[in-house]
Amino acid sequence: MLTSSCTNMPITYFIADLHLSADRPDITSCLEKFLSDEATKADALYVLGDLFEAWLGDDDINEFTSRVTEAFKTLSDKGVPIFFIHGNRDFLVRKTFADRAGMTLLPEEHVIDLYGEPTLIMHGDQLCTRDIAYQKFRKKSRGWWWPRMVLMLPLTTRRNIAENGRKKSKQTQQNLSQDIMDVTPDEVTKSMKMHKVNRLIHGHTHRPDIHQIDIDGAQAERIVLGDWYTQGSVLSFTPDSYQLETRRFS
Amino acid sequence: MVTFKTNYGVIKLSLMVEEAPKTVENFLAYAKEGFYDNTIFHRVINGFMIQGGGFEAGMEQKPTKDPVANEANNGVKNALGTVAMARTNDPHSATCQFFINVADNDFLNFRNESEQGWGYCVFAKVVEGMDVVEKIKAVETGNNGFHQDVPVDDIVILSTTVDEA
Repeated sequence: MLTSSCTNMPITYFIADLHLSADRPDITSCLEKFLSDEATKADALYVLGDLFEAWLGDDDINEFTSRVTEAFKTLSDKGVPIFFIHGNRDFLVRKTFADRAGMTLLPEEHVIDLYGEPTLIMHGDQLCTRDIAYQKFRKKSRGWWWPRMVLMLPLTTRRNIAENGRKKSKQTQQNLSQDIMDVTPDEVTKSMKMHKVNRLIHGHTHRPDIHQIDIDGAQAERIVLGDWYTQGSVLSFTPDSYQLETRRFS
Repeated sequence: MVTFKTNYGVIKLSLMVEEAPKTVENFLAYAKEGFYDNTIFHRVINGFMIQGGGFEAGMEQKPTKDPVANEANNGVKNALGTVAMARTNDPHSATCQFFINVADNDFLNFRNESEQGWGYCVFAKVVEGMDVVEKIKAVETGNNGFHQDVPVDDIVILSTTVDEA
């Protein structure tokens, strides 16, 4: 009796910043294990951005992207709803991929009812307002014309652009800003007040933590998800409690 | 010991030669040649840190030496009053810029050897002049081109004294 009530415990998972790529099969394996095992018992799975290290377009179908697509689709076919919010790496993900992977695309800021508590979810890059250069790029890359224009280019051209960009950014490291970036506290408060929530969950900064904050005298919290560079990072939420957990790469 | 005389007062740093030998050597090389003289604290965020050592007044960036390896895996924490090297996203890219923590910034500590987990290498501690640091952290700041949190009035390192005894 006890056992059965335990296995039926409602649970929702949040993940972000996996930065999956073809040359890091260890991360993909860890994700596959998570999706085929514990995630199958979830009420829902939320992917809050930067699932991929880079996304050149939904037409970039190869062994690696197919493997990831398949893993999500299998979970979705088992009846687990999967939601996706774009990150700053995979902002070119479109509905074609989402449909194939059995995911629902959400707007960049979205309020969900998490076991009774209105909870704001987002990738979190929009909170780093101190990074002016990035915010300019963000505005362009999330606008309506720039992504459309980029996605109209042939896939090989997009691949070359991405490759050159990587090389160029290595060469210009010296001139890059040495400013440590984190969320701007005022922006957090502003966002949470605007959406009328006392709980925020985001990724992006790779600084997993639970921050208790004060918003106009009310107790509020900001939960930051961890990345998947050296381990899997999962936020598991039940009606009674939640925790930031890690999963070892096998 | 390195002493910075600033237009806000004197700040004395004791260096962690044992914990961060390469970083200290790198910092001393800049300090001894007078590199830091006339540089400013160009990024000041109260409750976080004050950063300097790379720009002159007018946000003119100075040419640097080769970067130094990140020694943040020495386990020294980014605690209030410690000094750490600034860098780009590349963990091993620190050159001349440094920052003084004005809070316990745990999220800057070493976690693992990934790009995001390396953290920031602490190599010194303020032993005199925390009152000066407190004054600096509270100054008025504004935008300057692509830079935010730039003090409205320049905070300048006027001279540097190195005492290795």
